[in-house]
Amino acid sequence: MIRIRIVNYIIAAMFLFLGLWLFNFNVLQGRELRAQSDKNCVRLLSQWGARGAIYDRAGNLLAGNSLSYDVMVMPQGQGSRNQALTAVANVLKKDQAKLNKAYRNNFIGPSLPVLIASGITREQAIALEELKNDIPSIIVQSRPVRSYPYGSLACHLTGYLSQIDRWRLTKLEDYGYKTKDVVGFGGIEEKYDYYLRQDEGGLSFEVDHKGRFVRVLGFKPPTNGKDVQLTLDLKVQKIVEANLADKKGAVVVMDPSTGEILAMASFPKFEPGLFNGNADSTVAGLVNNPDALLVNRAISFAYPPGSVFKAVVAAAALETGKIDLSTEYVCQGVVFIGKQKFECSGVHGPQNLTQALAHSCNIFFYKSGLLLGGQNMHDWAVKFGFSRPDEIDLPYEISGFIPSPRWRKVNKFKNWFNGDTANMSIGQGDCLTTPLQVTRMMAVFANRGYLVKPYVAQAIDGGEIFAYQKKIISLGLKESTLNQVREGLRDAVSTPKGTANSLSELPVAVAGKTGTAQAPPGRSHGWFCGFFPFDEPKYVICVFLERGGSGAAAVAVTKQIIAAMCAEGAA
Amino acid sequence: MKRNHILLLTYAVLIVLMGIFSIYSSTYQKEGLFWQSVYQRQIIWAMAGLALFFMLSFSNYRDLWDWTYFLYAAAVFFLLLVAIIGATRLGAQRWLRFAWFNFQPSEFAKLIVVIFLSRYFSKKEAANTAWLPAGSGLAGRVILPFIFVAIPALFIIEQPDLGSGMMIFLFFIAMLFLTNVKLKYIFSFLIVAALPVPFLWHILRDYQKERLMVFLNPNIDPLGAGYTVIQSKIAIGSGGILGKGWLAGTQSQLHFLPESHTDFIFATFIEQWGFAGGLVLLFLYYQLIRQGFIIAANTNDYFGKSLAFGISVMLGIQVFINIAMNMGLAPVVGLPLPLMSYGGSSMVVTFISLGILVSIDRRRAV
Repeated sequence: MIRIRIVNYIIAAMFLFLGLWLFNFNVLQGRELRAQSDKNCVRLLSQWGARGAIYDRAGNLLAGNSLSYDVMVMPQGQGSRNQALTAVANVLKKDQAKLNKAYRNNFIGPSLPVLIASGITREQAIALEELKNDIPSIIVQSRPVRSYPYGSLACHLTGYLSQIDRWRLTKLEDYGYKTKDVVGFGGIEEKYDYYLRQDEGGLSFEVDHKGRFVRVLGFKPPTNGKDVQLTLDLKVQKIVEANLADKKGAVVVMDPSTGEILAMASFPKFEPGLFNGNADSTVAGLVNNPDALLVNRAISFAYPPGSVFKAVVAAAALETGKIDLSTEYVCQGVVFIGKQKFECSGVHGPQNLTQALAHSCNIFFYKSGLLLGGQNMHDWAVKFGFSRPDEIDLPYEISGFIPSPRWRKVNKFKNWFNGDTANMSIGQGDCLTTPLQVTRMMAVFANRGYLVKPYVAQAIDGGEIFAYQKKIISLGLKESTLNQVREGLRDAVSTPKGTANSLSELPVAVAGKTGTAQAPPGRSHGWFCGFFPFDEPKYVICVFLERGGSGAAAVAVTKQIIAAMCAEGAA
Repeated sequence: MKRNHILLLTYAVLIVLMGIFSIYSSTYQKEGLFWQSVYQRQIIWAMAGLALFFMLSFSNYRDLWDWTYFLYAAAVFFLLLVAIIGATRLGAQRWLRFAWFNFQPSEFAKLIVVIFLSRYFSKKEAANTAWLPAGSGLAGRVILPFIFVAIPALFIIEQPDLGSGMMIFLFFIAMLFLTNVKLKYIFSFLIVAALPVPFLWHILRDYQKERLMVFLNPNIDPLGAGYTVIQSKIAIGSGGILGKGWLAGTQSQLHFLPESHTDFIFATFIEQWGFAGGLVLLFLYYQLIRQGFIIAANTNDYFGKSLAFGISVMLGIQVFINIAMNMGLAPVVGLPLPLMSYGGSSMVVTFISLGILVSIDRRRAV
C-alpha cells in the first residue's frame, strides 16, 4: 500500500523535524537556556541605603531618615502564599483580601520578593520575624524613610518625597531611575535628587523549590545618598515662619553680598512627612488644595511688584541722566496723562527723588518714568534681574514678566501708550515679579551695585560648592546713583512721614521700600523689601503678603521678624 | 505472541516507565498527599492499561465491526453528558466524575472515530473485503462521513478542547487519503474546510485567542499565558546534551514549569535526560508508530488495515503536536503525550489502541 508508506514517511519526517529542533534547543541554544534556568532559582532581595540628609548652615538636621519596616513575601505556589498572607494578616490585623490585592499589584517577577505591607510598627516587625521559622517566605526588612525633625519648617525649600510619576520617569529613565522609585518633588529634594539619592544594594541567593534559603550567591552593599548642606539659617527660618504665621505669602532673607539664602518661607505650608505614608487621599488632598500648598510662592508665583519697583525706576532715571538730585515735581495728588487720570496715594507737594522714594510718591515716578520711556525702563528692569529666572538652585522657578513697547508690538500687535509707561513706573500694569527677584533687586542697593545669584546649597557631602554657586555681576551703577537711592530707601524708614517709619523703632538701621500692588479683583498685595544694617548690610529681607491689603501689613510683619532676629542675636 | 508484538509492547512499556520516572521527579517535592501519590496512580493506570492491552490483543478485533454504531452512540452520549454537566456547572469541563476517578470521554471518542471511519470505508461482507467502491461519489465518500465525524468533534471543541477536536479532523483527512478517495475530493474538502477559518477566530474563547497570540510571540505575556511556553523552552534547552540528571531538574521541580506532569511532561523529561534522552524517546515513539504502519500494510482485511493505519496516525499526530507544543512550535492546546503524561483516560485508550493493533496482526487474514 503506497499510501500507507507515504503517511509513514510524513510521520517520520515530522519526528525528524522534532529531533532537529531538540538539537537546536539543547545543543545550539543549550548554554543560554541553561543560564536562564539557573536564574530561575536565584532570588533577589533589595536593600535600601539611606537617602542623603539635608542640613542647615550650622549643621542642624532639616530632613533625615528613620527606620520603617516592610513585609514582603517570596513568590511561590498559591497554597503557601495564602498561608503566608494569612499569617501576616493575623499579625497586622489587616484584611487578607487587601494583602492579596497588594501582592498582585506589587508582583514584579518570580525571582523578586513582593511587598505586601509597609510602615509597620517595630512590635509587628518582631512578631513577624518570629513567624519566619514556620513560614520561610515571609521577609521583614527595615528601610530608611524620610523624617523631618522640624515638621513643616522650610518645607518648600526641602521639598518632599514621593513615588516617581510618569512624567519624571520618562525624563529620568536614562539616569537609572526605575518605576516605583521614590524621588524628590520640589525644592532641594528634587534639584539635588541625583546626589541625595541612595543606591539600591541587594542580596542574591539560591532557594530550593519551597523558596527556602540555600546559600548566598552575591551581595552588593547599598550606598547612602550624599548629604546636602544649605545656606539656610535655621534660627532665621524659624523666626520668619513664626511671624508669617497664618498669612498667605512669602518671605525671603538673603545675604546681599553673596546671594546665600538665609531663610525662605512660603505660606500656606504643608507637612512633607505626610507623603511617606500610603494614604493616597491625604496626598491627593495636599496636591489638590485650592490654596496651592505645595507651591513655593517665593519663586513659583509672580505678582505685580507695586511701588517696590520704584527703586529700579529711580536708579534707571538717575543712570540715564533723565533726572538728578535737583529734579523736583510737585505732587497734587493727581495727574493727567493723555486723557487718563492717574492718582497718588496722597498729596505730597514738591518732591525730590529721596522724598519721593520715602513717601512712595506716584506722581514723581509717573513723570520720571515718562522721561525714561517704556522700553528703557524694561531694559533696566531686566538688568536688575526681572523678567528672567534667578538661576537659584531650586526647581520650578518662574521668570516673571516685565512688559515693553517692543514686546507689545511684536506679540500683541498693539501700540504702547504713555499711560502704560506710567503704570509700569509704579510697578503695575503687566509687571509680574517673584519675591525672590525683588529680594535680588534690593540686594543691588544693599551691596552697592552688584547683582548676585541666589543659592541655597553650599556643600554636598562636606565638599563646598559655593564656588560654582556664587555669581556676582557688577551692574556698573554710578556711586551717586546708589547713594541717592539708598538715601531714599533709608528715609522711608527714618523720616516720620516715610512709608516704613515704624521700622525706625528697631535697634538696627533698616532701609527699604514698601509696595501696595493692586491686583483686582480682591485685596491688594503687600510688599516690603529692605536691607539692614544700613551701613554694612548683612541681610536683605523681602516680605510679601498675598492679598495682604497694603504695604503697611508687610512692614508690620517685617518689624516683628527683625525685632525677633535682633533679640535672638541673629542681626 | 510474535516477535513484533513483544517489540511493540516493549516500546510502550519503556515509554510508560520513562513517564512514571518523570512524573515522580516532577511531583515528589510538592507538598500534599495528592502530589505524593500521583506517580502511584499512574502505575495503577499503566497496570490497568496493560490488562486491557492483553484482553484486546487476544480478542477478535472484528467484533468491533459489530459494536461500531453502539460505540459511536455511546461516545456522543458521553460527550453530550459532559456538555450538559459542564454547562450547569458554569465552567470548562472535559471529564465526568466517577466513583474514584475522572473519566475523559474525548480520549475515547478519538479512538471510536477511528473505528467508525474504518468501518464506514470498508465493505460490508467479511468475505470480500475492500474499500468502498470509488463510484460512491463526493457525497458518500466525503460529506456523509464528515458529518458523522463532525458531531463528536464539535462537542469536543465546545468543551473546550480545541486540540483533540482539530486532531479528529486531521486523521479524518488521513483516512480519506488512505482509502483511495480521489485527491481532488480531498483537496476540495480541504479548501472548503479552510474557508471558515477566519470566522472561527470569533468563535474561539478569549483564552484560546490569547494562547494563539502567545504562540506567535510568547514574550507579549511573559507572566501569563506565555509563561508556560517560555519556562518549557528553558526547561528543554537547559537539559543540554546529557541532561541535568534524574531528580536534578530545577525547572520542573521548583514549580517554574506548570503542568510539568501532564501536558509538559516532555519538557520535564528532556530537562533531566537532555538531548540524548530526547533522541531515545523520539526513537521509541517512532518505532511504536511504525509497527502500526507495518501491521496496516501487512493486513489484508480492509477494516483491520484502516483501523491499524488510523491508530498509528492518531498516535503520531498526538505525539507530534504535544512535543511541538512543548518546544513552542505549536500553540498550547492541552493535548497529553500518549503513554507519558499523567492521566488515566489517555493511558487506557492508548493501551487499548495498541491491543487492537496486536489483535489485527494476529488475525491478518481474518
